[in-house]
Order: sequence, then C-alpha cells, then structure tokens
Amino acid sequence: MDLRTGLVGGNPGKGRTTDLVIAGGGPAALSASLYAARYSIDHVVLESYQPGGQAALTAWIENYPGMGRISGGDLAARMKEQAERWGGSFETATVTSTGLRDDLIEVKADSAVYLARFLIIATGAAPAKLGVPGEDRFYGRGVSYCATCDAPFFKGAHVMVVGGGDSAVKEGLHLSEFADRLTLVHRRDRFRAEPYLAEKLLSCDNCSVRWNTTVSAIEGEDGVEGVLLETPEGEERIDVDGVFIYVGRRPATEAFSGLVELNPDGTVKTRGIVGTSRSNVFAAGDVTDNELRQVVTAAADGARAASAVFNLMQ
Amino acid sequence: MAVKHIKGSDLSSVTSPGNKVSLVDFSANWCSPCKMLDPVLKKVSEDLEDKVDFYHIDVDESPETSSRFGIRGVPTMIVFHNGQEIDRMVGFRDRNSLQRQLESLTESILV
Repeated sequence: MDLRTGLVGGNPGKGRTTDLVIAGGGPAALSASLYAARYSIDHVVLESYQPGGQAALTAWIENYPGMGRISGGDLAARMKEQAERWGGSFETATVTSTGLRDDLIEVKADSAVYLARFLIIATGAAPAKLGVPGEDRFYGRGVSYCATCDAPFFKGAHVMVVGGGDSAVKEGLHLSEFADRLTLVHRRDRFRAEPYLAEKLLSCDNCSVRWNTTVSAIEGEDGVEGVLLETPEGEERIDVDGVFIYVGRRPATEAFSGLVELNPDGTVKTRGIVGTSRSNVFAAGDVTDNELRQVVTAAADGARAASAVFNLMQ
Repeated sequence: MAVKHIKGSDLSSVTSPGNKVSLVDFSANWCSPCKMLDPVLKKVSEDLEDKVDFYHIDVDESPETSSRFGIRGVPTMIVFHNGQEIDRMVGFRDRNSLQRQLESLTESILV
C-alpha cells in the first residue's frame, strides 16, 4: 500500500512458487525487497497487519542518516516506492503458518499458499500491553499505543506516558506539544532512552517524571479519568485524561514457531546477525534478538538478509 | 458500494434497513493507519454490500459528534443496528479480519 495515497499495492493472491518470500511490511522487509530486487531475486513481500510497520506510526524520525527530520509514514512510503521502482513485488496478506514441503518452505498467508526456497522473517513487533485493569476497556477511549494517531484528541489535557525507552520519551515529547500537562511514569530511576531525548523531556516546561513508579490500574466511566500508581511512598491516584503506553514490544513470530528456534520472549534466535536455526531462513528487524531496534538497524538487517540469500543462490 | 462521506450532523439520519447494519469509520487525514484503512474499507464494502452500509466521518470536521461518541483514538469504527451501537473497533484492521468480524456480527444480528 502506498502510505501517502492509500492505494493498495497488491491484492491477496492464490500464492505461487518463488525464490524468496519476505514476510512483513516495515523497514526491514522494504529494505530486503529493495536489495533482493537489485540482486534480481524473484520474490514477494507479504505485507500484513501494519503496512509500513511501526515506523509508519512514529511521528518524527530524526536519526535515520540523510533524512534530517521526517515523519515515519513518509520514510516508510519512500522506502516502499524505492523497492517497487526496482521491481519489488508486494501482496497484502497475513502469514498465518509456515512449514516445510520437500525442499521448499511453505508459507500460508490468508487463503494463499506460497512455496519458496528462502524466507526472510521481518514481521516486526506490536506494542506490549501493561496488563493492568482498565487497559483493554479504555482502549480507544483514552488508552493508546500511538501518539501520532491520537495526540490531537488530548489538546489541553493531562496525559500520562508509561515507559522509559526511546519510544516513550520521543512520543511523550510529541504529546507535550498538544497536552497541557504530561506526566511520564517509569518503573526505574533513570531513562533507557538516548540522552538527547531524555534531556529534552526533562527540560520540557509542561512535562514531569515519576521515577520508580508503576501503573496498577486505569480508571474511569466512559473514558479514562485517572490512574492508580504504585509509588515508593505507596499507592496514589491521580487524574489523567489519557494514558499512552510504551513498555516494549511483542514480536510477531507465532507463525514461525515450528520453523525456526525462538527465544522465550518470542524473538527469533539469531546466529550471526540475521541467520536463524534454519539455513534458508533469515530474520530482520524487530523480530530478532539483536539489541538495537531502530529503523536504521532494521533496514541494515533487511539488506544483510537479502545479501545472504543472494550468496546462497550462487 | 462505496464508503459514503457524511458529517456528524447527518449521523442521526443514517438508518439502514432492518436487514442491514451500518459501519461508521471515524478517522482523520493526519492519521497514517486511517489512510491504510481506506482501501480496506472500500474492498470490504464491495464484498458485504448486501449486509453492511459504510460511512466515513472526519473527526476534525465533526468534533462534537466524535466527542459525543467518546472517540479518543483513530481510526475507530462503530457498527450500528437499528440506531444502537453494537460493536466498536479501534485501530487498523486488515481486510480479512475486518470482513470476518463483520460477517460474524451480521450472522448473529441479522435473521
């Protein structure tokens, strides 16, 4: 799908036999497709849940070299445009299961079946939940995992961000441009976010941070009205209009659990950077157990994985 | 069947016949998942035209209606039957999952 025009790049097909299936639609998959296309590898990208991946939901990306400050949606759209220009082939389908058929990898996606010599798993990750009462009930009614999508609903409001990594701080800064007051709650006594972002949030006029604090419940009637906090001083209730949750990600690897070895947290166990327990399957981006999970590392993983496929095909 | 753009003030006059339900998509032009959802809705509206009428409301154009329905995230899709809200979906849905959910809903509601 073209993220700017909203046009679907490909419809669910009947499946086919190909050299390479790339599962996913974010920067890792888009980069893998670009490199595969330039290597003239016959391939198909199966875009699923979130075209453009998590990058498309990021307000601003400021650390992708050469791009300055660009919206996540625009960056993902440019990546896809580039891959398609080189011959990348895209279909909209969700991979539901994978297995082996003779020497090939069988990929079931919706009602279609694909057979491929190689597979690159680049299905990314979805936001992790806090798992507290009220979280599901108020999703879309004050609970959100996407500041880019929902910040404008909180003009003049008091909003809470939960988390202490790059996403929490970056999206918190975006929210602070709309909200009257922003409270960030973090379970530790310091940020994991990069220092530049952390300093920016700490010096933001309408932002405050509650360290060593966790959320135990989200409360309200028709929408979020407040949260219960566990603080070093004990339980405390504070009024907020919205809660934005950035407490990590759940890798989307269910469909590959029988095919390659996974870690207990669901990430693909990598060998080298993009290798897996199976020699003709590679993993790229946020599905892997590699430490740094950024757009730039996802793009690099995609390139490495396509290159590894090319080398094995020689 | 296309997705019909309406204003919030038109919502009360949106009544599907008793043998159909109405899906109203609340979205915004600054929201990436909303743009992704547009072609999905168009496809599903073609597949389910005999069961579901599809409408679209821009939350910036109709802030009072959005607030009245407690919309604080987009896209939000609300399904109505005989003027009553019977289901609400928040966030992007792919074609298959949206179609499955609407088919299951209409099977249980429409006799």
